[in-house]
Amino acid sequence: MTRGTFAYVGQRFVLIALTALVVSSIVFIGVHQLPGNAFLSERQSSPQREAELLHHYGLDKPLPQQYLAWVGGVLHGDLGESLVNRGVRITPLLLRELRVSATLGLFALLFTVVLGMGLGILAATKQNTWIDYAASFGGTVGYSMPNFVTATLLILLTVTGFYAWSGGAFYEDIGWGKPEQVIVPAIALGLYPMAIISRLTRASMLEVIRQDYVRTAWAKGLRPRLVVIRHSLRNALIPVVTILGPITTSVITGSVVIEYIFGIPGLGKEFVNSIFNRDYNIVIGVFTFYAILVGLANLAVDLVYPLLDPRIRY
Amino acid sequence: MDGVSFHVDRGETVGIVGESGSGKSVTAMSILRLVAEPGRIASGRILFGDEGKQKDVVQMTDDEIREFRGNDVAMIFQDPMTSMNPVLKVGFQIKEAMAAHERFTPKQARDRVVPMLKRVRIPAPEDRAKNYPHQFSGGMRQRAMIAMGLSNEPHLLIADEPTTALDVTVQAQIIELLRDLNRDLGTAVILITHNLAVVASLCTRVIVMYAGRIVEEGPTRQIFKSPQHPYTWSLLRSIPRLDEYQHEKLLTISGLPPDLTNPPPGCKFHPRCRFRVDRCLEEEPPLGEVDPGQKARCWVLMRNALAAQPQQAGQP
Repeated sequence: MTRGTFAYVGQRFVLIALTALVVSSIVFIGVHQLPGNAFLSERQSSPQREAELLHHYGLDKPLPQQYLAWVGGVLHGDLGESLVNRGVRITPLLLRELRVSATLGLFALLFTVVLGMGLGILAATKQNTWIDYAASFGGTVGYSMPNFVTATLLILLTVTGFYAWSGGAFYEDIGWGKPEQVIVPAIALGLYPMAIISRLTRASMLEVIRQDYVRTAWAKGLRPRLVVIRHSLRNALIPVVTILGPITTSVITGSVVIEYIFGIPGLGKEFVNSIFNRDYNIVIGVFTFYAILVGLANLAVDLVYPLLDPRIRY
Repeated sequence: MDGVSFHVDRGETVGIVGESGSGKSVTAMSILRLVAEPGRIASGRILFGDEGKQKDVVQMTDDEIREFRGNDVAMIFQDPMTSMNPVLKVGFQIKEAMAAHERFTPKQARDRVVPMLKRVRIPAPEDRAKNYPHQFSGGMRQRAMIAMGLSNEPHLLIADEPTTALDVTVQAQIIELLRDLNRDLGTAVILITHNLAVVASLCTRVIVMYAGRIVEEGPTRQIFKSPQHPYTWSLLRSIPRLDEYQHEKLLTISGLPPDLTNPPPGCKFHPRCRFRVDRCLEEEPPLGEVDPGQKARCWVLMRNALAAQPQQAGQP
């Protein structure tokens, strides 16, 4: 950590803030262009009631004014009020849902990283053996299966399959709240990124183990474990860490499909519902939050680089 | 690679010369069983140790070969820029070489790093041990590689073109360093190179390779003075010399080394040889003794060729 690092991080934070501003304003304009609003049911019964509500939530004001009011709220940590579930403050709601999605996501990430890198390393060190072929085959399958297929197959296997197989003694209880309910959706969520990571790790490792310095490591008489972990893996991790940034963001913010299929009350589900319901504040809030998270994840990745490779400095 | 057989005595310096693709590096790699896929050692023996209790590298188990590498025989490589791991400190990489073997305790290994760097004449070794390879110059990296190679006090150091990637003044320093270390530590050195000047200044014995075979070997002085294989002779005539033959044209060897997957019949050098006779096209000559200590793989031999047709030699 040098002065340069702090200056660099400071610059990046400013950039992230600017990005958030741009993203939120674009989404703000976009979401107001969608036909209809959150008060469709009122519109049918009493147009007057709709006008009252629009006025109550300040939606009859000009857009720039509404946007400034929104930014003012954000600066106080307040994302406003839900237009559908009236009276519900959005900030605590999203935080609660984020906690659910992030819990699931972190388990998925654990599965992704441990198994993905493990399989990648194994495939690379056993190149052109049946282990490599099996890992590559598994990777391709994971890579090409959409997550709703994976999720459905896993439900078939763990819910009905285990139930029938164990005579009802043992089965996956779909839902949320019990610790054991995390595992199956986490696998369904993590399978695709796991396949990406394993293929990338394999390719990257294969490149590194042909390097001269790895030959030097063998010539020194190092144990194979040290040659692989100390002299190859660390050097091979840079492309893997690069892709890990966006993967982390996408996994911990929740997947709409997985949350629907497994009945998990997470952020991904809320996000889609809010668009359908024209719940403006939630749509803008979640979008902006995603933008900031992507920026932070990429910053984290950039800060990991110098730890892996001393030639990279800021 | 076929029928390559040679020996290196304790404390000796032997040079292996030949052009690219002649099999010098593969020979060196096979001593440590580091030949890259799809290459493999199909047959043969690589014996190491004192007479009577020699170990065969080819027959060693994985654990034995691991213990052998870096401990009994160390190796340094052509390109010092890529031979050290860029993400680990130089001192750590040297310590690690010792930690891989049992000759030194962990504390001894730690304490030996700085003296080893000093020994290979790296200035400010205490600070330099904490540097990463990219903070070293090419010559310093090669010195650090040598320090790493010698850290376990091996009996044999194989240097695979250690000076090729360095500029000329640094080359001279590295060669001088190798010569001093050989003299002071008694480490035998196999020097692989295509640079005859390097061989002349460092090696007591030289092995000339062509197309995966030894074509000539003997004491350096003798080979340089009276090469008997036309290939060696041509090599020596293809470099400028200040002391002799001042009025001669430099010689070039026409053509390219043969494709080893489809080698020519007979002597592998005959398509490029200006002294060939009919027999060379059909039958490969054996590596026969031509003078005490000197062997050559040739039907003709330079002494006969030069006597028969002195004008061919390019002499005035």
